[in-house]
Amino acid sequence: MTDKPLRVDFDLLDRQIVDLDGYLVGKVDDIEFGTAADGRPVVAAILVGHHALGRRIGGVLGRWMAAVARRLHTTGDPQPLRIPFERVAKIGSALWLDVRHELLDTPALELWLRDNVIGRIPGASDAGQ
Amino acid sequence: MKRFLAVTLGILTAIGGFVDIGDLVANGETGARFGMRLAWVVVVGVLGICLYAEMSGRVAAVSGRPVFDLVRERLGARVALANLAGSYLVTLLTLSAEIGGVALAIQLATSVHYLLWVPIAAFVLWVVLWKVKFEPMERVFGLAGLALVVFVVALIALDPPWGQLGDQIANPVPPATEDWATYGFFAVALFAAAMTPYEVFFFSSGGVEEKWTRRDLVISRVNVFIGFPLGGVLSLAVMGCAAVVYEPLGVHVDTLGQTALPVAMAVGKLGLVVVILGFFAATFGAALETGLSAGYTVAQYFGWQWGKLVRPRQAARFHTVVLISVLLGVALLLTTADPIAITEYSLVFSAVALPLTYLPILIVANDRDYLGDHVNSPFTNVLGVTYLVIILVVAVAAVPLMIVTGMGS
Repeated sequence: MTDKPLRVDFDLLDRQIVDLDGYLVGKVDDIEFGTAADGRPVVAAILVGHHALGRRIGGVLGRWMAAVARRLHTTGDPQPLRIPFERVAKIGSALWLDVRHELLDTPALELWLRDNVIGRIPGASDAGQ
Repeated sequence: MKRFLAVTLGILTAIGGFVDIGDLVANGETGARFGMRLAWVVVVGVLGICLYAEMSGRVAAVSGRPVFDLVRERLGARVALANLAGSYLVTLLTLSAEIGGVALAIQLATSVHYLLWVPIAAFVLWVVLWKVKFEPMERVFGLAGLALVVFVVALIALDPPWGQLGDQIANPVPPATEDWATYGFFAVALFAAAMTPYEVFFFSSGGVEEKWTRRDLVISRVNVFIGFPLGGVLSLAVMGCAAVVYEPLGVHVDTLGQTALPVAMAVGKLGLVVVILGFFAATFGAALETGLSAGYTVAQYFGWQWGKLVRPRQAARFHTVVLISVLLGVALLLTTADPIAITEYSLVFSAVALPLTYLPILIVANDRDYLGDHVNSPFTNVLGVTYLVIILVVAVAAVPLMIVTGMGS
């Protein structure tokens, strides 16, 4: 990262998140702030998921998006994916993480579609190019 | 050979923009009603799409980010959602029309009603989208679409009064039989078809699928500057053939068969075979382009894993969007909606999608965080801003002109 000040709205929000292998994890849908020891606010985590996005979009559409996301869950406790800011290795045209996506929770929609729709079609596990 | 084949992405992208089912008929209709008096719009459109496709290809090659990533990142979640709605609807309506177009092309060859071919065409399309790797797909349909070069051959074989066609090109005003409103409507339709947003979605995402890097900037540029002008030439040849054969007779062109007829007259049976093959390849190629673009836009807006580089089960949401889009396209056709009219209606949604797609490309093409030293030159920026103004005018004018002229009738 350069010495240029990091602007949350310009450099973080809505950027693509990429894992160590180049897998696309999601977008920076929202930011969680924390407080440093000296009382300054700092970026604590990035939030990924339709709940976070829906809240940020607001209005009827946003509420609807968040409500759908709340119903699509596998654990009984639907929360956006929370990635601690320390896991972000580099910020540029995307946010590169220093972990693999397998270590993060797979979004419920992806999981459900994989198990019930796409995974059942012959050839779903064939390697890409 | 490999170097020669590297341009097929540009060719396939351009075919989807310039000679898909809507344009094949619309270019025929334009030629029949206006002669070559609207040819200049195609040239303006080719320049515009070259300009912006080059920028999007450059961003994709240097930063690895396709166009809809830029849209979301620069316009924010809310405005990008409006663009997503508009772009997705344009893409979906065009996808539906292309499936119909594939079926119409088979109808020309078999005389079996096109609606019977729609489910079969859609199934084969989906299997290709599911199974076939990106590069062979792009090569087969990009190259087969070149069969439409037969329109150029036909135009020369018709031995038209070149001087008269030249006069029409040089005098861009409506003929005595048409008014300025219909002239404007057809100009807007031709321009919007040339700059249709799924071209840059497909082109930049295709670059990412082909793993372009900084070293592939030349390949990206060659794709742009060969593919799109070629698409423009094909589109002008279709227009020219109709201008020569139909305009003097005052015949109205509104079917695919009529678009093909001048080729049959000039080149004979063999020409007809080639032209039907070309129709099939071009509409099928455009269907692949729009089917994938539908998935690309939604997945890139939400940040989902997309593309044909990974196993389908690793991109389950992306493949679900593609599958649902194909099914929606088929459902729309089975209401017996006219495939050719569908593409004209997609113009309405272009009004939202066009400016909101090209503005973020222009902004990011100037961003050193993305491009380093490869940012736009001042000359490119002057052209880019000029085209953005044209795009805005077209976007604002599209809907009123459509209503005033009753879709140009």
